[in-house]
Amino acid sequence: MSSDPLLQADELTRRHFMSNAARALLGVHLWPMLGSSVAGAAPAASVKGKAKHVIYLFMNGGMSHIDTFDPKPKKKDVMGKTEAIATKADGVMLGHYLKKTAEVMDKVCVINSMNSTQGAHEQGSYIMHTSYGLRGTIKHPSLGSWVLRLGGRIHPELPGFVGIDSAPDLTGGGFFGAKYAAAPIGSPEEGLKDSKRVEPVSAEDFDRRLSLADKLNRQFHDRYPNADVKAYEELYREAVALMNSKDLKAFDLRQESAATRTLYGTGRFAQGCMLARRLVEHGVRFVEVQLGGWDTHYDNFTGVEGRCFEFDQAYAALLTDLEKCGKLNDTLVVVATEFGRTPEIKAEHKGGRDHHPSAFSCVLAGGGVKGGMKHGLTDGSGAKVKDGLVSVQDFNATIAYALGLPHDKVIMSPSRRPFTISDKGNPLTSLFG
Amino acid sequence: MKHLIAFVGLLAASLLPPLPAAESAVPDSATLKKAALEIDQQVAAFYRNRKLSVPQVTADATFLRRAFLVSIGRIPTAEEALAFLEISDPAKRENLVNYLLKSPGFSSHLSNWAFDLLRVTDDSVGSSATNEPYRHWVRTAVAGNMPWDVFTQRLIASSGDGWDPETAAVGYYTRDRGMPLDNLSNTMRVFLGTRMECAQCHDDPFGTTERHDFFELAAFTHGQEPVRRELMQPLWSELSDEKRGNRNSEEYRIARILWDRIYGMSLGGGGSGRIGLPSDYQYRDGKPGDVVAGRTPFGKTVRMSEKRDENDGREQLAKWILTRTEGQFPAVIANRMWKRVMGKGLYEPVDEYLPADKTPHPVLAGLLTRLMVDLKYDLRAFQHVLLLTRTFQFATNPNPSTVEGGDDFHGRKIERLSTEQIWDSLISLAAGDPDKKPLRPLDDRIYLEGRPVLVGKKTMPELSKEVLALKSEPQVREYFTKLVSDIRSGSQTSGNGEMMMKGGARSYGAGAMARASELPSPAPRDHFLYLFGASDRQVVDASSRDPNVGQVLSLMNGFVQSQLVNRPDAHLYKCLEGAGTPQEKVRRLYVSILTRPPTDEEMTWMLDELKTRGDAGCRNIVSSLVMSSEFLFLQ
Repeated sequence: MSSDPLLQADELTRRHFMSNAARALLGVHLWPMLGSSVAGAAPAASVKGKAKHVIYLFMNGGMSHIDTFDPKPKKKDVMGKTEAIATKADGVMLGHYLKKTAEVMDKVCVINSMNSTQGAHEQGSYIMHTSYGLRGTIKHPSLGSWVLRLGGRIHPELPGFVGIDSAPDLTGGGFFGAKYAAAPIGSPEEGLKDSKRVEPVSAEDFDRRLSLADKLNRQFHDRYPNADVKAYEELYREAVALMNSKDLKAFDLRQESAATRTLYGTGRFAQGCMLARRLVEHGVRFVEVQLGGWDTHYDNFTGVEGRCFEFDQAYAALLTDLEKCGKLNDTLVVVATEFGRTPEIKAEHKGGRDHHPSAFSCVLAGGGVKGGMKHGLTDGSGAKVKDGLVSVQDFNATIAYALGLPHDKVIMSPSRRPFTISDKGNPLTSLFG
Repeated sequence: MKHLIAFVGLLAASLLPPLPAAESAVPDSATLKKAALEIDQQVAAFYRNRKLSVPQVTADATFLRRAFLVSIGRIPTAEEALAFLEISDPAKRENLVNYLLKSPGFSSHLSNWAFDLLRVTDDSVGSSATNEPYRHWVRTAVAGNMPWDVFTQRLIASSGDGWDPETAAVGYYTRDRGMPLDNLSNTMRVFLGTRMECAQCHDDPFGTTERHDFFELAAFTHGQEPVRRELMQPLWSELSDEKRGNRNSEEYRIARILWDRIYGMSLGGGGSGRIGLPSDYQYRDGKPGDVVAGRTPFGKTVRMSEKRDENDGREQLAKWILTRTEGQFPAVIANRMWKRVMGKGLYEPVDEYLPADKTPHPVLAGLLTRLMVDLKYDLRAFQHVLLLTRTFQFATNPNPSTVEGGDDFHGRKIERLSTEQIWDSLISLAAGDPDKKPLRPLDDRIYLEGRPVLVGKKTMPELSKEVLALKSEPQVREYFTKLVSDIRSGSQTSGNGEMMMKGGARSYGAGAMARASELPSPAPRDHFLYLFGASDRQVVDASSRDPNVGQVLSLMNGFVQSQLVNRPDAHLYKCLEGAGTPQEKVRRLYVSILTRPPTDEEMTWMLDELKTRGDAGCRNIVSSLVMSSEFLFLQ
């Protein structure tokens, strides 16, 4: 066994899984003990952040920074149909599609100086989620998996990492394996699908099925000791614990009041944000919610307006709601995207904007981050970073820092190569109060 | 079959490279077996050189399940399994492969592969245009086993009407309208295994491709405007003008059918051959706005004129890819097919081409490329050869490969089934052989805000043909006025049952128990297919086999329970009819679900289950077998 406490915790977990298999399958609770052993493994390293949770809102397709968080009020040719509006924070302006967000900007820190090396969607969203370039030979764990691995679970039965409308290839456990992958939510309204025993099946029959399947699986695994095969075995145990959890209601949006529902609005992304808040309240470590459709090569302004309509009210509601329930202090809310979009407007594509990785914006709020501020600067047209460049790796290191996790902690892949949560990134400590 | 024959007829009549006459071109079985033997000899030579022992050939039951899943994407039915397992004919494996290659399931399974590779979706994001005619074109081409070179040529050199079955391949470009450069990067990746997406924005620091090269290549496909849409521009501007506030008018909505779904789905010109450098062009070899002419980056160079638009750039590009890239085109598809059948590519990733001498198996790589050419890019015949090899029959080896990024032939890797394989297998158990159901038809009705109009009078292909033939702005206005009036008078008589019956059937809904290849694409986010890792078909080959807890919950409490285990009329339970003894019941369930009889130990467990729980025990057995890793993994 390794002397590293993190790896050790992992070993322990595995042994518990193995030795208690049969009892677990019959629904016996052994999880609280296990959960605490994992959570307790987080080292008291020299990092200061106090956040416990992350809500990671991923704007898939490449959010136009100029039309949202980095407007250029004096440059009509760059802005096109978008106008800049003032916000609750002095000196921070937004595109006019974000009127409700403007009201909460005192809680928000905008990073205008993001810079990525990847200008295609697949590579761009991959590096944002993993800190590493997309390779044919290895799958890197995504950010949520890293946070789970380094920080452990909080709630012993609920999944530590939940992906709402997220793509499975961006929320996978990579070489950490399936137990670090996101539990997927296909529809926020439905919550965690299939998490209840279906009616005609009695509790006894349910247990008998699992027990039979477990016997078959152990046989199969003895014949083929393969990591993926084992992953399914372990997931059964995890799923049963989840089904038995009293806190399964964390996934049930019907328990939200009419007032809260009105606050968020009715869109699918809004439901996702509301669910994220519920999950965080119940002790889920990392929730990713995805909002797609930002790839506005064609008719950018109609596209951005439509996306912002989905985003604006939901995001403002999320921050307001988290603050009200006292969770904003220990929940880091991230708005990220794979790249920005060109200052140049393509008339032949009905006012379209193309991919623009060399300068774009991401946004942080809560979790100890100072509000009402901007970090970094782009040039007059939003084309290049002029000051305070933040690489993708720096950004992810900052997320780790906010959580008090060691951003430079090396974990070896099964092929014995060293990886960290943020590659060689450095956290932006100045963003924290 | 009728439409397939018609389809082949259409092809032969076109001006494109002649198709080999369907029947006579099918290679005879001796040729295929000889090719399979040559492959096995190469693999055997590899073992001799490395002084390794050759893996065992797998048992009948494993072979049966593997052959079904690999070639037609589902497990065998009980009847199919017994027909194979209970005869002792030395040629039965070969006969099985022949049977599978004739199954309609073969093209269904290959269609999933093509849809993932080409990112084929039903709808276009941000437009009311549909990709359905294109989807239908791809599906029909795969069903008709269109040779890969013809298929590629027809996609890349496409032009014209998006609704005409002859030219619906234009969807390859219109699917990516507004992002022609991404489309081109994908073309290079898919057909030549060359990654150029870095060079879209900057010189590739790790490769040899410069941004200038990329734009020279982009010149070939530059100019992807719709066919004569400018004739409709004045009318469209009037109707869609926000200040006049008539975007809610019926005229506007009808105009939108023409603008988005007729013009918007057509592809004009043929690729100009020239392109301007972008505004952020940053190198010394050109300035933003400079016009560069088409020039191919490697292979035998093809150039286009700098002085004038030649307008056949897409044809030229296709020709270059197919015939002037020094064997790269057949090599890439050969390796893709090898991965499909054997589980791992000769080298990986399969979309980063390596010349044969740089691969771990140079002779074999060369052999496969030649075979692809000799078989005239017949993907069915090529897969047939691979399925006949002894290499395909090697026993499962649980250990990871010893050759990084490639196949080391030490036996079949164990791998979770693709989501489509799991789905197609489950619906076979729940509802019987899915290949008896018809393919999804092309819905060619004219929709006005979700409601079909002019049903029985006019279809989208007819409308499209007429509209694209209009030659002047007054003609467009006149046609439009008539169309509005036809639709209005038609709607007065709606409710006429006979007319409604003439409309094509709407395609399968997401809840249908049909093959994954026939269901909506991409799979909705709350669908079983998505949960188990279906690609959203926004990027090339984005499917996933990663496990997650949602999948396991679904197996325990979701689709499997409601549609299979707890449904007394599920097809699976028919296998129990006439089973006299509990032993026989258990045996039949095992063969139906796991394609093998139970071991003695398993029989004891299962008999005990039946004895203790009766009918519920039977359901418990089914449930546990479907939940088992043996069901989910390919051996």
